[in-house]
Amino acid sequence: MSKTVLIVDDEDDARAIAVLALQMKTDWTLLQTNSGKQAIEIATEKQPDLILLDMMMPEMDGKLTLKNLKENTITQNIPVILVTAKVQPLSQTGIDPDKVVAVFAKPFRPLTLGENIREALGWQVGT
Amino acid sequence: MPNQSASGPAMPAAATGSEHASKPKGVRADILVIDDTPENLHLLASMLTERNYKERSVTKGLTGLRGAIAAPPDLILLDINMPEVNGYEVCKQLKQNKITQNIPVIFISALGDVFDKVKAFNVGGVDFITKPFQIDEVLVRIKTHLTLSRLQKQQEVQTLRLQREIDDRRRAEETFEKAFLASPSPIAINDLRDDTFVAVNPSFLRLSGHAQADVLGRTAEELNFWQEPALYQKALVQISAGNACNSLELECKTRQGDIRTVLLSLEKITLNEKSCVLTIINDITERKRLENEFISVVSHELRTPMHSLVGALDLLSTGELGDLTDQGQQILSVATSNAERLIRLVNDILDLERLKLGETSLKRTHCNIETLCNQAMQAMQTMADKAQITLTVQSESVPVHVDCDRILQTLTNLLSNAIKFSPEGSTVLLQARLTGEPSDEPITVPTLHITVSDQGRGIPQDRLETIFERFQQVDASDSRKKGGTGLGLAICRKILQQHSGKIWAESTLQAGSTFHIHLPTQAKA
Repeated sequence: MSKTVLIVDDEDDARAIAVLALQMKTDWTLLQTNSGKQAIEIATEKQPDLILLDMMMPEMDGKLTLKNLKENTITQNIPVILVTAKVQPLSQTGIDPDKVVAVFAKPFRPLTLGENIREALGWQVGT
Repeated sequence: MPNQSASGPAMPAAATGSEHASKPKGVRADILVIDDTPENLHLLASMLTERNYKERSVTKGLTGLRGAIAAPPDLILLDINMPEVNGYEVCKQLKQNKITQNIPVIFISALGDVFDKVKAFNVGGVDFITKPFQIDEVLVRIKTHLTLSRLQKQQEVQTLRLQREIDDRRRAEETFEKAFLASPSPIAINDLRDDTFVAVNPSFLRLSGHAQADVLGRTAEELNFWQEPALYQKALVQISAGNACNSLELECKTRQGDIRTVLLSLEKITLNEKSCVLTIINDITERKRLENEFISVVSHELRTPMHSLVGALDLLSTGELGDLTDQGQQILSVATSNAERLIRLVNDILDLERLKLGETSLKRTHCNIETLCNQAMQAMQTMADKAQITLTVQSESVPVHVDCDRILQTLTNLLSNAIKFSPEGSTVLLQARLTGEPSDEPITVPTLHITVSDQGRGIPQDRLETIFERFQQVDASDSRKKGGTGLGLAICRKILQQHSGKIWAESTLQAGSTFHIHLPTQAKA
């Protein structure tokens, strides 16, 4: 069964590029949203195999969204990869590194996104 | 009035306000003789003239008075017994006039005259001579009184000058005291021998949160003031040696425990014969906070559109979104490579700014320099192969406790430069070994000497230092041809500085260049 990935980013362009790149390189089912609040709803309902979570978002930012996801028993085991354009090291953000699988720093090249996700999550090549 | 007697120096006019011209040399004082008897006048006149005195003689008291006021003499010989106005009266009037009041008056009395000595001195006379004159005695008395008068005038001038000097000094002191006390910049003066605070101004007390009594006589260390006392000490050593120290950035801790970032300017001064250091402080904490915030915001704001830009171009270049002609593909790769260049530039600028602001603190981990060299070579192998350059690494195996990521960044940067500027078929050599040479720091820590050598076009002598500055490349067209940002070496230098190391370049034009690094293998104890 192919994987389901939820892409969370308030920047429409960034989302569009991630979605397109993953469509080209993988057969994963792609869900997307521009808000942290919606991300929690979708995650609770659909239980994706991965959440690609942008840090800088208005209203509910990545840090808060992550906190909520991890406090909810339904969503707490869904792996999360953080995406950020800021240079701040994780240690300075107050986020527990154990709660995230990886941090992808923007700008990254979209064509290798699928491969980087597989590597970070230990998914077999071909998934 | 200038007095040209044999021993006297010329003097400026006394406070009497006279304007007598300077006397020609050899002419002694100017004496006015007032006597109603012409024979006496003549006698005195010739006696004085013979001795080279300049003399004036008048027979009437009032005439003498007018003459003395108009052209004040140095001394007056005054007959007592005169018709109309007698000597006492003349003397009184002389003493009442500011112009003539300090001219010594010697009374002339005739034997047989009623001479009231008390009255004579009371009206202001300084001496008297009696006819018949003993010439020598007369001359001696004249000379004595002229000398006395001259000395008195000298003393008056001296006193005036001293008073003026005292006033000037007091005014200067007030000026500088006010400046010190009112200065918005914190100022501190410390004794160089023992670092104790000698004087601090109110701004300093406001910054430090301490009371004056708690500061004076104590050292900064006792007050736990400087966060990095070693850096401050280093500055003091510099100052003691006579060098300037400006814009030294340090962190200090207030009494309440707040950390403030300050900019220091230090200067060596001598105060009350003690060697001291004058420190002027500029609190830049707010400015730094704003800079940090700015970097944070800018980094995000720049990177977000860059991410979408390069991402969109990458997707286009796959061809899966529509075919492009060959030319189309070519142009697309122009866009992509420039987007990449932009990303590198922004990364480098932000990197440098963060290094400058000290945001990037060293994260020392244990690794081996041999491993780092090999990693650097591996990272650059593809680029070297493309440029047909041979990469060689010769490294001793030395365990190090440094920021490995940053050192690796430095090595790859240097290798990248070397490859860029090397001709095809040449060799780039990376070497690392423990050095026996002492490092600049007083306490020696085992130090690595790392070199990256190329056989490229070389660097002119006058650029060997400037290439480490921001946005400096040897040739202005380099950034377009070679794709560099001009920041790499500035970043390398900052990284080495953070490790208390050094980086410098040596080069021979048309033969090649060698970049040298001194890297302490661990932090100083």
